[in-house]
Amino acid sequence: MPGILENLFLGCQVAFTVANLLYCFIGILIGTMIGVLPGIGPVGAISMLLPVTFGMEPVSAIIMLAGIYYGSQYGGSTTSILVNIPGEATTVVTCIDGYEMARQGRAGPALGIAAFGSFIAGTVGIMILMILAKPLSDVAIKFGPPEFFSLMILALTIVSYLARGSMIKAIIMAILGIVLSQIGMDIITGKFRFTFGMMDLLDGLGLVPVVMGLFGIAEVMANLEESGDLEIFKEEIKGILPDVKDWKDSIGAIFRGTLLGFFLGILPGAGIVSTFISYTLEKRISKHPERFGKGTIEGIAGPESANNSASSGAFVPLFALGIPSNAIMALLLGSLMIHGLQPGPLLIKENPGLFWGTVVSMYVGNVMLLVLNLPLIGLWVRVLKIPYRILFPFILFFCTLGSYSINNSVFDVLTMFAFGIIGYIFRKFQYEPAPLIMAFILGPILENSLRQSLIMSGGNFSVFIMRPISFTCLGIALFLLALPIFLRKRSRIFSRLE
Amino acid sequence: MERSLRKSDRISSLIWLIVGISFCAGSIPLKLWDFQKPGPGFMPFLSGALLGLFGLILFFSSTAAESAKGEKARGKGILIKKSKRRLVLSFSILFGYILLFEPLGFFFSTLLFFFFLFKLTDPKRWLTPFFSSGLAVIVSYLIFSVWLKVSLPSGILKF
Repeated sequence: MPGILENLFLGCQVAFTVANLLYCFIGILIGTMIGVLPGIGPVGAISMLLPVTFGMEPVSAIIMLAGIYYGSQYGGSTTSILVNIPGEATTVVTCIDGYEMARQGRAGPALGIAAFGSFIAGTVGIMILMILAKPLSDVAIKFGPPEFFSLMILALTIVSYLARGSMIKAIIMAILGIVLSQIGMDIITGKFRFTFGMMDLLDGLGLVPVVMGLFGIAEVMANLEESGDLEIFKEEIKGILPDVKDWKDSIGAIFRGTLLGFFLGILPGAGIVSTFISYTLEKRISKHPERFGKGTIEGIAGPESANNSASSGAFVPLFALGIPSNAIMALLLGSLMIHGLQPGPLLIKENPGLFWGTVVSMYVGNVMLLVLNLPLIGLWVRVLKIPYRILFPFILFFCTLGSYSINNSVFDVLTMFAFGIIGYIFRKFQYEPAPLIMAFILGPILENSLRQSLIMSGGNFSVFIMRPISFTCLGIALFLLALPIFLRKRSRIFSRLE
Repeated sequence: MERSLRKSDRISSLIWLIVGISFCAGSIPLKLWDFQKPGPGFMPFLSGALLGLFGLILFFSSTAAESAKGEKARGKGILIKKSKRRLVLSFSILFGYILLFEPLGFFFSTLLFFFFLFKLTDPKRWLTPFFSSGLAVIVSYLIFSVWLKVSLPSGILKF
């Protein structure tokens, strides 16, 4: 405990500088805005702002980018409640009861409980992150290359398993990410691979152009196809503070959602699932399950807490192991690497200021979000009214400038454009780009671990199954890969019996 | 819709197979194995082979699913024709912007980019897109070049 207090003090020294407070504020403001606006996700926004952070201190960059992430989780609920369109994938469930409450004239308490629930969950989530991350990284220091290789394979398998569409397609996306990450110079021998004599490819494909293309440009292309204006809740929003009955109904759901969200947030790709599980759990244990879907406040409190807590949980594997649990964390990992930091179990030990500064800034950010967001709901409603025809030229412009400014290279912008078209086709063919991005960032680390393990063992592949942690990770990954086949066979047998 | 998705799955699976095989072929000259340790071509070969393998799995699973259903319904096609014109024009403008970005310089290429995009969304007016694009380019120049010190191309017009 004294260790934690000492570290918190160090974190305060880092987070409470004028510059870092400002970056935290900018981050949560942008995060809330992109959360409110449907059509721009945190992945696109973070990749657009990544080049802006190059000149900053690493800790300031992470504070701002993290602020965008958890800020977007707050903002996403506003659109779900007022427009019945989820601002973020994690706020899909909030639409069910949130919009119903708004239709019944209770938009204020719905927005209020979403904000308070998010605040409580965010704060408790950070506390658990603070307690868990350090011991986990201490354990992870004992990991060797085989354990890291197997752990990354497990992470990519879980992301593919939890993908919304076909698991085979998600696995293909993950493998394609690894394939793309190998373009450029080989890190061990210095040989050039698949560069076709092009100078621009010597360092490989840039992270920012690929992400901006797949998320930013492809998103705009998809949205331009859709026409029609949003139907926004027009009545004046009154009484944002929930009353005693609202609190009584919600407080249990908030704490259950917090715990559930945090631990699911640690698992790769499970952040979105946490909101659905929280909603189902609340409905299952409720004395009045028939009220769910008709505007019950627990239906907002549980999932909203779960998604904010999951965003704190997602930082655990990033800081403790250097393994991202979703595409946003993969971008933060990329940002750490761009700033010359080596993500992994030694990150917290070698850069305590970065970790504790980020943790403290997340506390501060959560308070800022609560204080700012409730009075600013009117402003966010106005932001929602900005027509997409005005927004999309600016998104295209930011993507272009963001890609160009990294190396002052038109090749990077053309890469972004090409990946925009590829991302659009992926959407049409129902391929999810998130596993690709994760694998693209993890690819070089994965290859390094694999080759180091094989060098260690003299080319013997049994090194991966002779070590217990590595064996367990690969076993779980294999089980997850085989599970859909088993489930399909079982359902066929049952349908025949019926 | 489902039928056309399965057709697109088969097309994409063949693409993955080709990409996978190409990657395997390209990685062989890089040296796959170098005396008890993997060479620079090992990982590309492995990932290329896995990509091809999963491409095949996707191909057979989509074929099997369709023959199991035996459906004869005609799909509408994956690429539904909605507001395609706006999409194609917007992206042609973006492509033109990328190509002119360095030769024309930031200021004029961005002015033209915003002007054409605003004009596309508001075709009847001339003055509004003109002034809006002018304002957008000045504000973005001040933010990126003056404040954030992003190095922007000045182009042949030296501005």
